[in-house]
Amino acid sequence: MLRRVVLQTFRQGLAQSFFKRNAASLSESAVTQHPIETSEEAGAKSGSKQKNGDESGNTVVVAPPEFRFMYPEFLPDPTMERRNKLKEKLERMDMLQRRSIIEIPEFYTGSIMAVTVADSNSPNKFACFVGICIQRGGSGLQAWFILRNVVDRQGVEILYEMYCPLIQKIEVLRLERRLDESLLYLRDALPEYSTFPFEMEAERRLNNSVVPINPIKVKLRPRPWLERWERQNLQGVEDLNLPQRYYDRAKEVAKPWEKYDLMLQYRKTIPAEEQEKIYAEVHSQLQQQDLKRKIKRRRGPSSEQ
Amino acid sequence: MPNSAGHVKFVMPPIGSIGSGLASYRDLTRTLTDEKSTLYSALSAIVYMLQSLNRSPFLLGFLSNHEQVRNMSRVKRRNTHPGYWLSLKNVQKKDDKISADNLRFMREVIQDKYKNKSPLKVSELQIEKTEWDPKTKRSGVIARNIGRQQMWDKDGNKIVCTVLHVLDNHVIRYIPPEEYVKTSRGAIHFKNKTPLGCLVVGAEATNPEKFTRQYCNLFAEVGLMPKKTLSRFIITPNAALPPCTPITAGHFLVGQAVDVYGKTVDHGFQGVVKRWGFKGGPASHGATKFHRRGGTIGTGRDKARVWPGTKMPGHMGSERRYNRGLMIMRINMKYNVIYVKGTVPGATNSIVRIFDTLLPLRKFKEAPPHPTYFPPEDGTQKEEDIWDSRLHVFGSPSISV
Repeated sequence: MLRRVVLQTFRQGLAQSFFKRNAASLSESAVTQHPIETSEEAGAKSGSKQKNGDESGNTVVVAPPEFRFMYPEFLPDPTMERRNKLKEKLERMDMLQRRSIIEIPEFYTGSIMAVTVADSNSPNKFACFVGICIQRGGSGLQAWFILRNVVDRQGVEILYEMYCPLIQKIEVLRLERRLDESLLYLRDALPEYSTFPFEMEAERRLNNSVVPINPIKVKLRPRPWLERWERQNLQGVEDLNLPQRYYDRAKEVAKPWEKYDLMLQYRKTIPAEEQEKIYAEVHSQLQQQDLKRKIKRRRGPSSEQ
Repeated sequence: MPNSAGHVKFVMPPIGSIGSGLASYRDLTRTLTDEKSTLYSALSAIVYMLQSLNRSPFLLGFLSNHEQVRNMSRVKRRNTHPGYWLSLKNVQKKDDKISADNLRFMREVIQDKYKNKSPLKVSELQIEKTEWDPKTKRSGVIARNIGRQQMWDKDGNKIVCTVLHVLDNHVIRYIPPEEYVKTSRGAIHFKNKTPLGCLVVGAEATNPEKFTRQYCNLFAEVGLMPKKTLSRFIITPNAALPPCTPITAGHFLVGQAVDVYGKTVDHGFQGVVKRWGFKGGPASHGATKFHRRGGTIGTGRDKARVWPGTKMPGHMGSERRYNRGLMIMRINMKYNVIYVKGTVPGATNSIVRIFDTLLPLRKFKEAPPHPTYFPPEDGTQKEEDIWDSRLHVFGSPSISV
């Protein structure tokens, strides 16, 4: 039985979920009339599929629109010269195989994660690293993310390939987003913004359907910096306090027309119709895997007792 | 001083290596040794030989890396026109004024001719049972390079593989050695060697409307739909296959080495820095309009002209190349896809040909599927996805070191 009253198109769902995911407070989420399920809730209904009525009357299976944010690496590299449907399909099959062994959870830049990797040089053969995700990228099996932490007053960043078989466990300790998609400015920020204790435990989320946005404004160290942050329109950084000529030069160098350039956006993204097809292909398996893990987790503590 | 095109440095190679196989200079060396020449005269002889040898377009083994070798710039590397022996392939006039009814009728005829045929069974094909021996040359396969995918081995090391999709290959005809030697191509190929047979294989069945009648007739005898790509594979007579035989990814074995032939990425008209690796000029320090240019193209005295083969800007890429000895890491029998370790000439989505390797140390020691792979008639397929033993299979548990 479907919980949702009104069936929506993928695009409507996209817009709604975008606003929903960016809700800064819990109260906003309560107001929306069409609650969108997250993978957890959907999984709890034993693999319910959301069906969208086609014009011809045939039911078409459509994945929940949040999948685009939760599993962005399933979308291929948009460069047209390198695209091939068969290869992408085979790659997705391999990705699902790997996901059946290890849980690769939903995370965003700004989330704090702990990764355990098999390491022959470690005393107990496993190395664990905790850090904040400052960037994520890649598509398919090449998907990666960078974790940053400050260890003994030394900033350390590690790039992990998500599908590498050496990774034993990926755990999200705190799931949240920041105001920027890339937190590379933490390299020039005061070290307290990048320090997270290794013994940190996973925090329980109060509201599962909304990923909170941390509106923190980070303080940067005095110049010199690694990049010209004033030219990058950063939201998560405190006022840079630079002389006016920096901002004037940033304005000269800026490309304000890019936000109107539709072809540029088209070339950088996969069209919505294709995204629908891709996620429709993988979502049932992903939901099944999620459900199995949830059942295992619930059974786990009870069986121990 | 920029590295100019015409400047040739002489480097003294080890003296012992000079005398090998230079028949025209044997007299010179013999007279020198008979007279018990001094080191100086021996060295001057070497210098004289090198000066004259440098004019030849053939690569000489003892030239070191500092020498500017003119050979590759003198060889004709590409042509864009099709061979004179080929028949016209693509339909030239596309705006034929056919009425809608006639067009529909034409399409019905095409459907009747090709689509309503049941696929040939292996038992219907008359395949001779021949023995494999190490000197056998099997057929190759036409494939499409569909991209690259990375996998990991059992130690956690990344392996980048090229994914090759074996298209719908069918044998068009077999030309026995006696006949093939009489053709112009065969005569060149087997000038002083024992002749071998030639297997014509086609891939990618397409709508016959796109091709000319002459081209479609190539396939008409065997009753196949016209193929977009044709290829010749030189084979020993014991590896011959009858027409209409399908060749699939199972033709190859996981762990074997293959040679992949393709046309390299077309870079278009390129300058001398990218095309030949020149250093160009300084970016600053007052260099006037000299940053990516070639510099001098010759001396004034020697021959007083620009020598043929002088390295200059021009068309780069789109050349025939073989990447040899690539190992097959994984075969997917269901989708007819081969994962080959390393890279392959050409861009993504371009056509390549795959052959058994001719590198002597990587050839077959045991019999491969000979003359080709045929799926068992009773439906019991081999595994769908065959992995090399060194690879980490994605569905297996994580690696713990």
